[in-house]
Amino acid sequence: MKTLKYLLLFFTLVIICSCKSNTKNNIPVIGFVDAFEDASIAPARTGFIDALKKNGFSDEQKNIKIEYRNAQGSIPTLTQIVNYFVSEKVDLMATCTTLSSITTLQKTKTIPVFVMVAPTAKLMNMEDANGKGPANMFGTTEDLNYIDTSFSNIPKFLKPKSAKLVVGMIYNQSEPQSVDAKKRIESLADKLNITLIALPLNSSADAQLVTQSLLSRNIDAFFANPDNSVFSSFETILKNCDQKNVPIFTSEAGLVQRGAVAAFGADIYQWGYQAGEKAAQYLKNHSTSGLQPEMVKVRKRVYNVAAAKKYNITVPSNFEPVK
Amino acid sequence: MDFYLTALLQGLCFSGVALGIYISMKIFNIPDITTDGSYTLGAAVTAVMLTHHQPTYVALPVVTIAGAAAGALTGLIHTKLKINALLAGILVMTALYSVYLALMGRSNLPLINVSSLFNVVNISTDPNYNTFWILLIFVTIITTCIGYLLKTDFGLAMRATGNSETMIRSLGVNTDRMKITGLALANALTAISGYLICQQQGFTDISMGIGIVIIGLGSVIIAETFINWLRIASVWPSLLLVLGGAIIFQFVLAITLDIGVDPIFLKAVTAVFVLLIVSLPRLSFRNKA
Repeated sequence: MKTLKYLLLFFTLVIICSCKSNTKNNIPVIGFVDAFEDASIAPARTGFIDALKKNGFSDEQKNIKIEYRNAQGSIPTLTQIVNYFVSEKVDLMATCTTLSSITTLQKTKTIPVFVMVAPTAKLMNMEDANGKGPANMFGTTEDLNYIDTSFSNIPKFLKPKSAKLVVGMIYNQSEPQSVDAKKRIESLADKLNITLIALPLNSSADAQLVTQSLLSRNIDAFFANPDNSVFSSFETILKNCDQKNVPIFTSEAGLVQRGAVAAFGADIYQWGYQAGEKAAQYLKNHSTSGLQPEMVKVRKRVYNVAAAKKYNITVPSNFEPVK
Repeated sequence: MDFYLTALLQGLCFSGVALGIYISMKIFNIPDITTDGSYTLGAAVTAVMLTHHQPTYVALPVVTIAGAAAGALTGLIHTKLKINALLAGILVMTALYSVYLALMGRSNLPLINVSSLFNVVNISTDPNYNTFWILLIFVTIITTCIGYLLKTDFGLAMRATGNSETMIRSLGVNTDRMKITGLALANALTAISGYLICQQQGFTDISMGIGIVIIGLGSVIIAETFINWLRIASVWPSLLLVLGGAIIFQFVLAITLDIGVDPIFLKAVTAVFVLLIVSLPRLSFRNKA
């Protein structure tokens, strides 16, 4: 009886494992990898899909198949998702945010990878000894130049309470681009004669505490450096800053929508759209010649009307109100 | 089937965590939270050493010592300062975050053009099969060592510490020392898991350890279900089942991803699958009675 039960269990497992139809047709398959759920990052995927649709590729027309997987913040799951796409031999992969891009580029050297919402290969530390990024890396990347503009906007908007303008910021130690941005801002603050107080925030649970600690140091403005911890705890930061009458500046349009005063930076939807256009180009002629990772093109100057009014900030005319 | 092979590889890489949790469960009856920290510590040490062009066989002993030191620290805090074992683990894990951040200097360290354990020897031309054979040999050696250790007088005393500390102390065994060495051993194993995973996935990320203790615990509990069901008392089959548990855990995830469930339900479906696996034996018991 006992062996029978073993067999039963074994076969159930085999059946579960094998219940997958191996119908492979000629429709190109796109594997879309997301590392976590985030409302501010999600528009990138919409942009990517819209760009493909505009170029005549969509799920509805049945000329491509977009398979979407989200690792929900777990790195082992992320690795498995990437392994899945690689072993299914998808035609191209789209990766959103840094972590999924790094995982994918480390796992495949042949499938073209279209990255979005990710920094350049250099900032990801993915360059080889000759200073070259991975050969199969395409899509749209960003370096840190935009931060200069967003950060140097602050003194134009604000008059310091004391002699020197004090700006507070939080950064996420677990994200390379966040730490790089912080270093960049530190050197920038010196040049602009701004005192920068930066505190690390590694989990959104500590947001309240860290923000309060910054506010207690009498800051004139808060710079929300767009990283995952800021994205996920922005409402907490906003509430605390509002109570102390400290305006928030940022470099991401999505955060202005959520209550920051002004931003100069990439539009996440357009970022995905740009990567999608490149992916469409690849799908059209099935060749990567002429393709290379490019800088994000559409940057917007936006401001939040309500927030600007509250802090009596006159916004230059080249800023447009956020919808 | 390539995909299931990679899931198997990941399961084998996690066998260190599973064995580590199994040992800490045996001596404490509670899982050791230091796992989250020592796993990433192992991966961080590996990444730093490999990117500094140290061969992988030099990295392995360093990783083992680093993991053991982390575990011994938890053990010392627990036994000498009389801090609750869970809190001791949490404290060491929290402090380790700064340690590997300082070690790596940045939060994510990809391994580019470095030698790794998986290209030291070429058994098969297919990199996945090659990885599989190397991992299989590696895990077999580790499991054999642990199995042998647990069967010695020392190992027996260590396992018994978890069952009845008072009795073991009355037999003249220094239970404090048992706990410290046991935890050092468990965390060394966990760090080795980090060492393997880091080379398998090609990078170390500072947040890769978050929730790893759950994977280990899941594997051990899946194994315990089978151990109770089959009434196994000896060490060898138990260890094999623990390894099996780690592999099953990764397979469940692989199946869920393969079916292509909506990402929203990914975790729920994974949980339901594990529930099915551990409840199947119980259901057939009831039928028999």
